[in-house]
Amino acid sequence: MDVSIIIESLPPLLNAVLMTIFLAVISIIIALVLGFFTSLERISKIKILSKIASIYVSVFRGTPLLVQIFVIYYGLPQVNIEMDPIPSGILALSLNAGAYLSESFRAAILSIDKGQMEASVSLGMTYSQALRRIILPQSLRVAIPTLSNTFIVLIKDTSLVSVITVTELLQMSSLLIAKTFEPLTIYLMAAVLYWILIAFFTALLDKVEKRASQHVTL
Amino acid sequence: MSIIQLKNLKKHFGNQEVLHDINLEVNKSEVVVLMGPSGSGKSTLLRCLTFLEEPTAGAIKIGEHTLAAGEKLTRQRKNKIRDLRKSTGFVFQQFNLFPHKTAIENVMEAPMIVKGMKQDEARELAQSLLDKVGLGERCNHYPSQLSGGQKQRVAIARALAMKPTVMLYDEPTSALDPELVREVLQVMKELAKEGMTMVVVTHEMRFAKDVADRVVFMDGGYIVEQGRPEEIFNQPKEDRTKRFLAQVIGE
Repeated sequence: MDVSIIIESLPPLLNAVLMTIFLAVISIIIALVLGFFTSLERISKIKILSKIASIYVSVFRGTPLLVQIFVIYYGLPQVNIEMDPIPSGILALSLNAGAYLSESFRAAILSIDKGQMEASVSLGMTYSQALRRIILPQSLRVAIPTLSNTFIVLIKDTSLVSVITVTELLQMSSLLIAKTFEPLTIYLMAAVLYWILIAFFTALLDKVEKRASQHVTL
Repeated sequence: MSIIQLKNLKKHFGNQEVLHDINLEVNKSEVVVLMGPSGSGKSTLLRCLTFLEEPTAGAIKIGEHTLAAGEKLTRQRKNKIRDLRKSTGFVFQQFNLFPHKTAIENVMEAPMIVKGMKQDEARELAQSLLDKVGLGERCNHYPSQLSGGQKQRVAIARALAMKPTVMLYDEPTSALDPELVREVLQVMKELAKEGMTMVVVTHEMRFAKDVADRVVFMDGGYIVEQGRPEEIFNQPKEDRTKRFLAQVIGE
């Protein structure tokens, strides 16, 4: 192992880490919105909405993310929907994570004691006021642990979009290996960088979780 | 003058009839205690009053709000149910305080959200109600930081914040440790003195004797008998009432 290779490879790898973070953060934000509304659709009494939502969840949880990426990037151009690698990757990642998040949200909403809804409507609130003001704020707190888990899985899943030439951490590692012929060093560096990244976000999300769950006893 | 009127109220859960043809009137400022063995339908009756349970048949009148049971849930009917609920305070056995809100926020919530009251005004109202139930000092505590008795008093303040014309209590002290029961009953007693109309499901004989104008004894979904507390407790006419009283006193 050559120390100079580590030193030389670090700047491009760190640059690629930024792309990995970018992919993960943008995708989780879209997935949160998507997952949130999907969960509301799934618990809604309007049959057609909850059916659509449950098909979406079933499809995206029931197929490999890699296949979803291929369908979006290589498959859709055949029906004249062409997207660059980065948007394709973000689309696949957020649709996939959104499906998982919607299930977490749904479970969190259903976990809130039904007395909360009863107390709200007994005070004259409408169903949607009660949902917005009383049920959802509590379920979001409940959902935070599974939410952080989904985010961590998502960070790791960004490595899959390397197959459609997005230059994130793993793709950059492969490029560097082609130049240096040092797979062990470079891949281990990539692994360490993933690990540091995830440890950082885990610590951050743990803090958020502690603060948010302060007064919600289950 | 009756402020609550139940006409031929029925409630089925599936095939099981939990309430048979209940007729009941409650006058303004009257305190009515519903008693009876568990499964007698008293809690269901109370919950039907605000449509937390939809009655199967019959009609309910509270104040100027009249609703017939079993009609289709149109937007108009939803609004009518909501209007009825706005004028009816409900206190739950399990308190059901909002755990993510402080005591004062719990009380402010409905006036602000339902009535559109300004925050300052709602805070002032909530503070005065918490003072009234003896928790003025604890207004910034979260429910998890309060004792059961304190939680229930906040819940009463929260219901009062909507300025209800009647208060309904569903076993308000059953989830409390014995030493905390008194403080809740005390608050209810004071409200009764101020002329609040109340319907209370409870096993507290003491409270019924001291505060109730009328005790309604239920069993198996029927009103078995009713009368002044001293009549019911000292000279019950029906065997079922006698048996029940013997059991409760025996405890």
